[in-house]
Amino acid sequence: MITPPEISWLAIAPDLALTLGAALVLLVDVQWKPVARVHAWVSGVTVAVAAGLTVAQWIQAAPADALAFSGLITMDGFAIFTRLVLIAATALGLAAGWRFVAGLGRRGAEAIALVLLATSGFSLMVASNNLVMMFMGLEVGSIALYVVAGLARERRESEEAAIKYFLLGSFASAIFIYGVALIYAGTGQFEIVGIRDLLAGFVVSSPAVIYIGVGLVVVGLAFKVSAAPFHAWAPDVYQGAPAGLVGYMATVAKVAGFAAIARILLTGVLDLSGSWLPVVAGISVVSMLLGSVLALVQGDVRRLLAYSGVSHAGFIMTGVVGGATDAVLFYLAIYAIQLIGAFAVVAVVAGPDAAGSSIDQYRGLGRRSPLLAGAFTVILLGMGGLPVTSGFVAKFGVFTGAWAEGYEWLVIVAVVATVVALAFYIRVIVVMYMDEAQEEGTLRIGPERWVLVLAVAATILWGIFPASLLDLAADALPI
Amino acid sequence: MVTLADYLPIGIMLLLAAVFVAVSLIASRLVRPDRPTAAKLDPYESGIVPETEPVQRFPVKFYLVAMLFVIFDVEIIFLFAWASIYDTLGWYGVAAIFIFTFFVAETLAYVWKRGALDWNVHRRARYIPSGATDEAA
Repeated sequence: MITPPEISWLAIAPDLALTLGAALVLLVDVQWKPVARVHAWVSGVTVAVAAGLTVAQWIQAAPADALAFSGLITMDGFAIFTRLVLIAATALGLAAGWRFVAGLGRRGAEAIALVLLATSGFSLMVASNNLVMMFMGLEVGSIALYVVAGLARERRESEEAAIKYFLLGSFASAIFIYGVALIYAGTGQFEIVGIRDLLAGFVVSSPAVIYIGVGLVVVGLAFKVSAAPFHAWAPDVYQGAPAGLVGYMATVAKVAGFAAIARILLTGVLDLSGSWLPVVAGISVVSMLLGSVLALVQGDVRRLLAYSGVSHAGFIMTGVVGGATDAVLFYLAIYAIQLIGAFAVVAVVAGPDAAGSSIDQYRGLGRRSPLLAGAFTVILLGMGGLPVTSGFVAKFGVFTGAWAEGYEWLVIVAVVATVVALAFYIRVIVVMYMDEAQEEGTLRIGPERWVLVLAVAATILWGIFPASLLDLAADALPI
Repeated sequence: MVTLADYLPIGIMLLLAAVFVAVSLIASRLVRPDRPTAAKLDPYESGIVPETEPVQRFPVKFYLVAMLFVIFDVEIIFLFAWASIYDTLGWYGVAAIFIFTFFVAETLAYVWKRGALDWNVHRRARYIPSGATDEAA
């Protein structure tokens, strides 16, 4: 006799809305062949409905019904907060990439559908309490992103980005699922809460297989968030993928990957923290130093942002070491907005479907387009973590957590890496304001301007008044 | 706890399969008349004599049809599983299978409208190259 699982449609309602929206975009496209504006409305309404349903989850969320579908899905604050970040990233990403999407002609609908499907997959991933469900979400999201990377298929760089992302990404997924299998072999559990209860209630006499499993899971997810030494794909992919959408791609993969890392390590196997803390701290150190130092020598702004992403992955890992999910969530939310904003600038300067964006294109940008250069300056300083920007609050949060955990040396390395990182952010700013322009002509800007306005506002306002978002992140606790 | 003895049925099954193949081959060799001719030894007894080995480029539309077949084949598998316990699952099962069927039907409608089921590639609606306007459709 099979008992049907307890149903909570609300728990998957945002994902369902995103998937239905993707289907709707495709059907409207083949049936009526409308202009791009119609797609903007359909996808905009889809994202708004998904955001509304997520807010409804937040209002209704109670610990009693945090688990749904026989423990496959959770509706805890952690999942809801991360999902909101993902949906916001989708809205901003589509706006930043809109000129690219509209330029694709009839293929534009497929780009929108892929973006919505990627979000629904990652949103399922951050809300899953079951490791296999997490893998499902990871794959739905990742496979959609592989295709997005190759959307500008007339260019060889885009194809290269797609094939590299696909090969290394599927390799990472395979490592992840092997780790899940070993964790199951060691604990007999797929459910993260179940693993936590098992480890809290029993002494595992031979935990080696669990250690190997956790290690493989961390490696697989470190690939997805481009933490060193698993970052090799990131610069090539960020350089080759269509400029408009690469900010979205980078952001959702990082947010979902870190949410999964935080959930598995801080909820699932927290009792084994003595064994994984040094490893995560090591990944963090390598990422921070390697990312910051290699970003110094990049001649391409997109590669620079990729290596800065590696160092940011290291900073977020210090938050995982600190063990406070709210610091990690705050950092992810802030970094998501800034990353999409930075790539929106790239999309304006280099063109929405271009590959690469040499730093020469930014020379004299302060005179060619003062507003654009000003926005990029604020975003870069925010990424660097200068005081009065939200990046400073975010870095302060993750560093205090690691310091309190007794990882003082990690915080010292992180501060050194922050200073090194500031050097390459400031190098771009210097180039924008001090050098003579090498290219003439006005830059065309589309809906990217709204992304930039929001990114600048978020960087400054949450830098001065961080309490609103900090409180929200502090309420967003995992089960 | 899974012991080696639990795999015994699989072992017996493998053994039976091997015995069946051996017995069939040996029995047919012993019973049948054995009068080979050149025509009988050809892969195809009738039809056009093949000139080249079929290691060559196939039109991509065959792969398209194969992929579509897999999609609808998988749908049938899910429908069978649901149909066998639909009364237990109740309205949850109905809702779930309807959502699933909607997406499969949507896939069919999409590929149909896009011309993937049109065998004549030249008549198929072509992609608009990047940079063209929407109205050019």
